[in-house]
Amino acid sequence: MKKLEEKIIKKIYRMETKKTFGQIMAETILIVIISLSSVFMFSVIVEILNEQASFDLFDFLRDDFETIRFNFLNNSLLFIQELPLPLTYILVGLLLLLIWLLFILIMNFNKIKNKLVSIYKFWFK
Amino acid sequence: MAELSDKDIVKKIKKGEINYYSYIVKKYTTLIYQYIKRKLFKKEETDDLVQNVFISFYKALEKFDEEKPIKPYLFQIVQNELKMYYRSKKQTIQLNEDIYLVHDRGIDIIDDSYLNYLNKDEKKVFQQINEGYSYEEIAKLINKPLNTIKSIVRRGRLKLKKIY
Repeated sequence: MKKLEEKIIKKIYRMETKKTFGQIMAETILIVIISLSSVFMFSVIVEILNEQASFDLFDFLRDDFETIRFNFLNNSLLFIQELPLPLTYILVGLLLLLIWLLFILIMNFNKIKNKLVSIYKFWFK
Repeated sequence: MAELSDKDIVKKIKKGEINYYSYIVKKYTTLIYQYIKRKLFKKEETDDLVQNVFISFYKALEKFDEEKPIKPYLFQIVQNELKMYYRSKKQTIQLNEDIYLVHDRGIDIIDDSYLNYLNKDEKKVFQQINEGYSYEEIAKLINKPLNTIKSIVRRGRLKLKKIY
């Protein structure tokens, strides 16, 4: 009976090791890909805004407080209008996805840590 | 560790401490093994089924309500595994009549000499089984009800079992 118990436990660990490492790999790859895509998308948007000279709309920030208060809303709205919208939506989507993935990772952090400790103890001790 | 209840163990496993699963395995293996053994008699198949039961339970642990007792749930899995086992066995018998007979009796009766011991109807049905026809097809071919075919096959088998 002991042999059978050991066999079952070994099978469970083998399955769990595969599952846990697969999960970690998949999540890491996804987070890296989304992060890199977000950085790329952000740089493209900044490049476009630079070419349009849209950042000049914020030159008023160097002026006095009254000018800033007077121009802030207007210029901000103008800046938003000049944003390349499809790319901005993609960037926002990517960032939301990234936040969601990180949230899941943080929520499951303890569970994953415990699993890794158990797996390590089983296979290496 | 003895003071840990099933509920605590399930909670710990759900938190990722999978080493606690060994307590469940140690606690219930003998019970499940003996139960399955009583139904199957074969050691290797019993071992496989016990393993499947514990693997299925482990997979289901994520959704398992720790407030509920483990034992009935485990036995439900055992029932399902047994059902699947019987179903798979049944299919094998229906698919290949010769193999069933060979394995069952341990005698090579794949050649047609055994047909001499059967009467005309039985001979006809067994020949068609050998040719790969299903019971339904044979019933249509010789224009007899399906249950009659099954009875003929059963009678023929009993006859052959006595002879071989």
